[in-house]
Amino acid sequence: MRANKEKELRILKRKNLFTLMSRFLEDREVIAPIKGHGGEVIFYPIEKIEDVAWDWTYVNTVLPPKRFFLPQTEELFHYKNQNKGYEITPIYNDRVRMIFGIRPCDVNALLFLDKFFGGGPIGRRVPVAEPGILQDRYYATRRANTFIIAFGCHQPGENCFCICCDSGPFLKEGFDLQLTQLGGDEYIVELGSARGLKIFYGHEDLFRSATNAEEKRLTEIKDEATQQFGNTRAYISKAIHKITRNQVPDELWENLSDRCHNCGGCSYVCPTCCCYNVVDVPINKSEGSRIRTWDSCAFAGFTKLAGGDNPRSEKKDRLKRRFFHKLSYHYIEKNGRHGCVGCGRCITTCFANISMPDIADKIRKGITS
Amino acid sequence: MKDIYLPDVTTIDDITEETGDVTTFTLRFKDKRLQEEFDYRPGQFVEVSVFGVGEIPISITSTPSRPGFLELSIKNAGLVSGALHKLSKGAEVGVRGPFGNGFPYERAFGKNLLFVGGGIGLAPLRSLINFALDNRDRFADFSILYGSRTPADLVFRKELELLGKRPDVRTFITVDRGDDQWQGNVGVVTTLFPKADITSEDTLAFICGPPVMIPFVIHGLIKIGFSDETIISTLERHMKCGVGKCGHCCIGHKYVCQDGPVFSYKEMKEMVEKA
Repeated sequence: MRANKEKELRILKRKNLFTLMSRFLEDREVIAPIKGHGGEVIFYPIEKIEDVAWDWTYVNTVLPPKRFFLPQTEELFHYKNQNKGYEITPIYNDRVRMIFGIRPCDVNALLFLDKFFGGGPIGRRVPVAEPGILQDRYYATRRANTFIIAFGCHQPGENCFCICCDSGPFLKEGFDLQLTQLGGDEYIVELGSARGLKIFYGHEDLFRSATNAEEKRLTEIKDEATQQFGNTRAYISKAIHKITRNQVPDELWENLSDRCHNCGGCSYVCPTCCCYNVVDVPINKSEGSRIRTWDSCAFAGFTKLAGGDNPRSEKKDRLKRRFFHKLSYHYIEKNGRHGCVGCGRCITTCFANISMPDIADKIRKGITS
Repeated sequence: MKDIYLPDVTTIDDITEETGDVTTFTLRFKDKRLQEEFDYRPGQFVEVSVFGVGEIPISITSTPSRPGFLELSIKNAGLVSGALHKLSKGAEVGVRGPFGNGFPYERAFGKNLLFVGGGIGLAPLRSLINFALDNRDRFADFSILYGSRTPADLVFRKELELLGKRPDVRTFITVDRGDDQWQGNVGVVTTLFPKADITSEDTLAFICGPPVMIPFVIHGLIKIGFSDETIISTLERHMKCGVGKCGHCCIGHKYVCQDGPVFSYKEMKEMVEKA
């Protein structure tokens, strides 16, 4: 019975969506796309419904929402040396939050990170990792306590290629609710989890059942959106094959390294890049914090050892590293999918115009220039 | 499940200066139960915290066959190791671990053991050497080849002298540059191969040393006739987390901190990046 309820589609009027979010705002943090000072759209915790960038002029936010799960700077624990010696107190963030307006590519990135960090089954407040995975409790706690209200994409953005990465423009899994604009001021709602169903039951007064025509319309919208991608091609699967087997000529990375600035921007805007550095920040002689911060394999110091040796001191090796981590088959095996979700942010960000679809195409054709 | 990033507190119970820049620290967990439960394999490492300064990966130099404490030989080479060297007996440091695969010593049961160490690289080998000595009847011949830059850089010198006196262990020591008192071998560690009359027959070679040394040793052993599977070495990488998350130690899809740090030469050759 329950499983069927989950499959039924609902309709939510925009004003009712406002009401739903206002109710959420009463007792949890709501993260939504807002307009930044420069007009760019970013995810941010909102204080009131009016803050949300309702005009949907964005497809993807400048930065992925990964920082709400793996903050750019995060305190892991606090240490204090009192008379009895060191005491260590971990700091987990288990605040209940909902992220509203997250795009399918970004949700797929979370599913990738879930496998890697041992994020628990959605809906459990105390996260449980899959057997054999060492769990990052900081990530898993944030993840388990965050509701996912996703928005399907009607139209791809300039650099989007999720269609080539099996990560959009609509979700098949990984959401609590998925909303698709029906035209007018109505959204068609898919319930994707037990937790999503719970939201529905808790606020049944705001929803109505979808008609047969509306159900049909959703399928049409999804098809139309897919067709919008036109000639977008990324040839990811061919690149996966070659990069896994180390069959990409070194000259490609050498030539790219003439362009790459080592700025690390690609990693910072990537929703699946999750390498980090760890540092201690003392407050005084006996007290302080251990924090972690985002890091990037593009940086020359990333692999540097005490004593000066640096196994990846050459830029071409660092470029090879990044593309290997995004595309190698080994990560499909380990994390359930390859490391690129086709959000296109690295293309937008890169000064040197190093683009994933472009590189994947070069790899496929064996072009090195 | 335990938080993978939280260190346990240990106390420095003893400090032994090995050389001008290498010191051996004896650590015990403050929590007696943790000390009793702490088990490891030779070749594994721990992440050591100096609170307020940071955390570094250090291979364990003591052997699990002599439990009750943990010995770490640390070279003063960077920020955290430098801070460690300033600590005195009784100070507290954090320990997480053990991490990594350790040496596959089971593969050497009934076979000859060849150890080739350079500089501070003797530290992880010492764990295996002492472990094998404590299980001496499981192994055949025992050869230890060790080299350092100068006589003053030789670590565990007294222990090596004692080992040299054992009839069932052969030790050969060399230095790159001698001094006035030095009467032993001079030359890089591979120059000991002919002197020690190394044979590849029924032998497993365990190597640990600075990155510059390892390729020379491997190629020297191959010349003698060692196969790729019988050459086993540790790889050194920057390892921040030790649990395969931070990404610093990756070589291709291998995490040196989890899949290593011990690899056979066969495995190294299969890597998509230069090992």
